[in-house]
Amino acid sequence: MRELFRKKAFREFLRVLLALGIGLGLGFVVTIFVSKDPIGNYRAFLLGPVSQLNRIGDWLEESTTLIFLGLAVAIVFTAKQFYIGVEGQMILGAFVAGTIVLYAPFPPLLRVIAAFIGAALMGMIWGVIPAVVKAYLNASELVSSLMMNTIALRLFDYLVSTYLQQPKVAGIMSELFPKEVRLPSFIPNLPFLADIRMLWERQTSVSVMIYVAIGAVIVVYWLLYKTPFGYELRMVGSNSKFARYGGINVKRIIVLSITISGIFAGLAGVHVALAITHRIVQNMSAGLGFEGVNIAILSFNNPAIVPFASLLYGYLRAGADVMERMGDVSRELVMIVQAAVLLLITAERLLPVVQQRVTTDEEEEGQVVHEKGVKHVA
Amino acid sequence: MPLIEMKKISKIYDNGVVANDHVNFSVNKGEIHALVGENGAGKSTLMKILFGIEKPTEGQIIIDGQEKEFNSSHDAIAAKIGMVHQNFMLIPSFTVAENVVLGSEPMKNGLIDKNKALNVTKELSKQFGLFVFPNAVVDAINVGMKQRVEILKMLYRKAEILIMDEPTAVLTPQETQDLFKAIRTLVHQGKTVIFITHKLREVKEISDRVTVMRLGKVIGTVDTKDVTREQIANMMVGREVFLDIKKPQIKRGEQRLTVKDLTYVDETGRPVLRGVNFNLYAGEVLGIAGVEGNGQTELVEIMTGLRPAAGGEIIVNDKDLCNKDPRTIRMMRIAHIPEDRLTNGVAVNSSIEENLIVDRYFKQPIKKGISLDYKTIDQMTDNLIDRFSIKTPNGKLPVSSLSGGNMQKVVVARELSSEPYVLIASQPTRGIDVGATEFIREQLVVNRTEGTAVLLVSADLSEVMSLSDRIITLFEGEVTGVFPDASSVSEEELGTYMLGVKSQTYAEMEEYL
Repeated sequence: MRELFRKKAFREFLRVLLALGIGLGLGFVVTIFVSKDPIGNYRAFLLGPVSQLNRIGDWLEESTTLIFLGLAVAIVFTAKQFYIGVEGQMILGAFVAGTIVLYAPFPPLLRVIAAFIGAALMGMIWGVIPAVVKAYLNASELVSSLMMNTIALRLFDYLVSTYLQQPKVAGIMSELFPKEVRLPSFIPNLPFLADIRMLWERQTSVSVMIYVAIGAVIVVYWLLYKTPFGYELRMVGSNSKFARYGGINVKRIIVLSITISGIFAGLAGVHVALAITHRIVQNMSAGLGFEGVNIAILSFNNPAIVPFASLLYGYLRAGADVMERMGDVSRELVMIVQAAVLLLITAERLLPVVQQRVTTDEEEEGQVVHEKGVKHVA
Repeated sequence: MPLIEMKKISKIYDNGVVANDHVNFSVNKGEIHALVGENGAGKSTLMKILFGIEKPTEGQIIIDGQEKEFNSSHDAIAAKIGMVHQNFMLIPSFTVAENVVLGSEPMKNGLIDKNKALNVTKELSKQFGLFVFPNAVVDAINVGMKQRVEILKMLYRKAEILIMDEPTAVLTPQETQDLFKAIRTLVHQGKTVIFITHKLREVKEISDRVTVMRLGKVIGTVDTKDVTREQIANMMVGREVFLDIKKPQIKRGEQRLTVKDLTYVDETGRPVLRGVNFNLYAGEVLGIAGVEGNGQTELVEIMTGLRPAAGGEIIVNDKDLCNKDPRTIRMMRIAHIPEDRLTNGVAVNSSIEENLIVDRYFKQPIKKGISLDYKTIDQMTDNLIDRFSIKTPNGKLPVSSLSGGNMQKVVVARELSSEPYVLIASQPTRGIDVGATEFIREQLVVNRTEGTAVLLVSADLSEVMSLSDRIITLFEGEVTGVFPDASSVSEEELGTYMLGVKSQTYAEMEEYL
């Protein structure tokens, strides 16, 4: 057991678990105060997402979007750029993907491919302005990316309502995409899987995008930890002065981190458009862009943890939906849980007992010393 | 009886650095007492102890015959001691008067009495000849006035003893004269002033007595009128036993780097480098001696691409490297041990191996195809940890887990293992333990003997003297002397050039630069 405690990954895992436990506990306390049936409501919140197939579907779909967004934010955060313009990149990505599948004069498969490329490019381009003003004029990327978000959202509304608006419908939305350009189910179209596939297809929109997401996780992990570019990115984040001293072009890395992050934000947009809404519609991003920030924080900016953080976070969101629909507790309660969890995870000092530091002073050479002075291990 | 007596004060920091070593220091009432010494001599630490910011490891402080124990600067202020720091501690958006009374504001009906604050400021200003605009916002006033506000702040708190930490470092000559006038007025009215500086001209001009510190010890206290600037310089720089370094006979090779008319002007318009010229040859250590703050930092940063120059050339292999980026300069195989390792030299939260590859991650064999070859990185890291005896269980640990000396070894390991054509080492052994110091010095000599051109900048004069083959002195951004044979020059002589007491003409130096 002690061996296990010494592993950093295990301690971090424990920390997340503890944070989650405290967060959920806190949520329950609040539920007791606001609900007539706290136990029933909380059960709906905790078990709701897995109680029906369509709810499992909702959970997985949202998690898939969150994976792309979490990756996007993890990339910029790794370079210590506090860029939060993912929301805008995502919605414009969705717009571009949607317009391409609706109007591009290609066969369906090519249109879908073009939609992926177009959305990724859109995400990149939308990041250029905040990236360049940060790198070359030292303008806060936090402020500029927030402003770019507003511009993106309004631009999106304008374009959809002006050019794509369906006559005689209430909301601002385009027409539905034709069936052949919607993303297929994640279950392969094989004879012996036909029944399951049909069941899932009827009740959920879980698409092949889930595989793309897993691929993206692998790509980003490789990019950050196995390539010279990733090294540069990490060094700029770790100490940008050191990076500059070592010969890294810090400005270039800042621009690249934000633009490359845009690719994944754009892909999140593709997922929402082509797999879930099947049309371009106002508010299709549903504020998910900002949740990407939470995912990145939950996963310590590590791409390998992003899918798990996304599943966890997606679960909380899906649970909130169920609870809101079935009971008398609004989904804002879940925000309390989420905020508590995030706060506890970012609090470095949580679980100090299992924190340890390795010192290598002359007299303690080769020894691992617990910070609390509990144990010396040769 | 002296007004202040500090007896056997020692200060040993947690990391083992001895800043003050049984220091005795006394100041008489009504005098201007200069405290001089090179950077790192321990004068600021001593004054921080007197002002209650640092606690002494041992020793006594006696003020006006009473033994005191200061736990914070509040205690010191209560004992009528005030300190004017080098970096002003004023609130920029407040007015002068508000800053003066900050912390013990005059109150009326539970609100700050602004009129009274204004009047108090005006009165103090008049009484001590410290001219300020009481209504001006601090942000909008000049440096000289800010300093006067700091002094007024202390006077408002009834300070009888004023400690000024290098007050003239930020002032123009005219402002310095104004300050001196104000200091004389203060003393006439019975105040006592302790004046920290390393400018000898000012010591002679303003002080009654002077205490010289070196390496944490007091060398002596003398009446200023009895000593010459040269004598003070000798006391500051002193003689000391050189660390024993075996240095093989110099085999000076070809000229590798030329600095021509290098100039630099800082943000405030002050000229920091005023046309620096020198050459650097293969197989030699060229030492730059100088009191810190005379342009060494800027010179090194310009040479390594971290700071743009105002003018001049840096020529290596017929290429001008002035104002090129660090990567271009590094590609010419110019290695750099930076003076501030925590800022530039390492990324403390990254692993040792990541810190070791910053100059080569994009080159063969570390880059293989389009990705990093971790097998090669691991091998190289283990090899360097071994060769430079970096004390760590493995190379995957963050640099923050290392002691200062071992962090510096990581820097040295990286820079020296790049087999540099030119090595620029700035304060290579500052603040590290004796073992690591010795090791790093040895490594520098080994590289020089193998033919690397080494430029050594150090505030530690004994280090410059024992490692260098040739020495130039830098004073206020100018080369004031060149000594072609480092072994035949005395510390005293170097000291006079470092402090600008003497200087050689360009014609005299040209041949040896």
